Amino acid sequence: MALIDLIEETVVRAPLKATEKDTVIRELVDTLVQAGKIIDAETAYRSVLDREAKGSTGLEEGIAVPHGKTIAARELTIAIGVSPEGVEFGSMDGKPAKLFFLILAPPDKAGPHIEALAEIARMSRSKAFCSSLASCRSPAEVVRLLKDE
Amino acid sequence: MTRPIRKIMVYVDGSEQSITAAQYAIVLAKALGAELYALYVVDTRALAELVKSRIFLESEQDEYRRDLDGDASRYLNHVRELARRKGVPVSTEKTSGAVHIEIKSKVAELGVDLLVLGEISQIRSRRDELYNETERAMRNAQCPVLVAKGEDKIWDLYEALE
Repeated sequence: MALIDLIEETVVRAPLKATEKDTVIRELVDTLVQAGKIIDAETAYRSVLDREAKGSTGLEEGIAVPHGKTIAARELTIAIGVSPEGVEFGSMDGKPAKLFFLILAPPDKAGPHIEALAEIARMSRSKAFCSSLASCRSPAEVVRLLKDE
Repeated sequence: MTRPIRKIMVYVDGSEQSITAAQYAIVLAKALGAELYALYVVDTRALAELVKSRIFLESEQDEYRRDLDGDASRYLNHVRELARRKGVPVSTEKTSGAVHIEIKSKVAELGVDLLVLGEISQIRSRRDELYNETERAMRNAQCPVLVAKGEDKIWDLYEALE
């Protein structure tokens, strides 16, 4: 399944209210609960924090890809967050993260999970595209940009 | 004239589309008296890409590799069961690497006459076109390729098979 098929306005927060790493993750997890994509926010949140505890998923150029395997997700699911001011995320280049892709997948769906992450890895190589995404000010703008790409 | 389709291979990646393709391949194998193969490719190239981009830790790569091996066994067992129900023998193959390259290689190695693939997702961007593995397999395979579309019709055909 293409990543774009999982993205709709209800799973996008632009702009994010949270200003710290843990609260960004929590806000994105709650977004997925509100969108009816996952059933247990606490379990999902813990799975992402456990993964972050092993090493930050903050990449370069303001992108972060927090992810986790959890039984709280029945299917592969994604939330996108945009923080115009940026959030300290322990990124590789030390810069604040502005664009967040939170991915949750059930433990028995490794294939689609890896496919989605690989797609984001490829997307993150386009600095211009990521910069455009990070400057979006509404979920509609994010979705439109991703679908037009 | 020799039979044009003696060996059929279906590529299974765990998606619903690939399971539908497996059902159609079973129907075809039975109708044509062809040998049937089912292939699952553990996408180690994507895993390596995730480590390189620093999304995955080395330890995570190993963990997901084990998960993918588990997926491979589960989905190939499922295809084996689908074929058994219809009395069609199937040989399952598991390999690892870049998906489209492994498919092409297995087609050549087994002398496959027809490759059956699941319905391809709608191509939404140039990136999709470049990286969609089913799309790339369809373009690269050195044998006739059949894309199994029409889930309901295929389900009926499979169910009607005695």
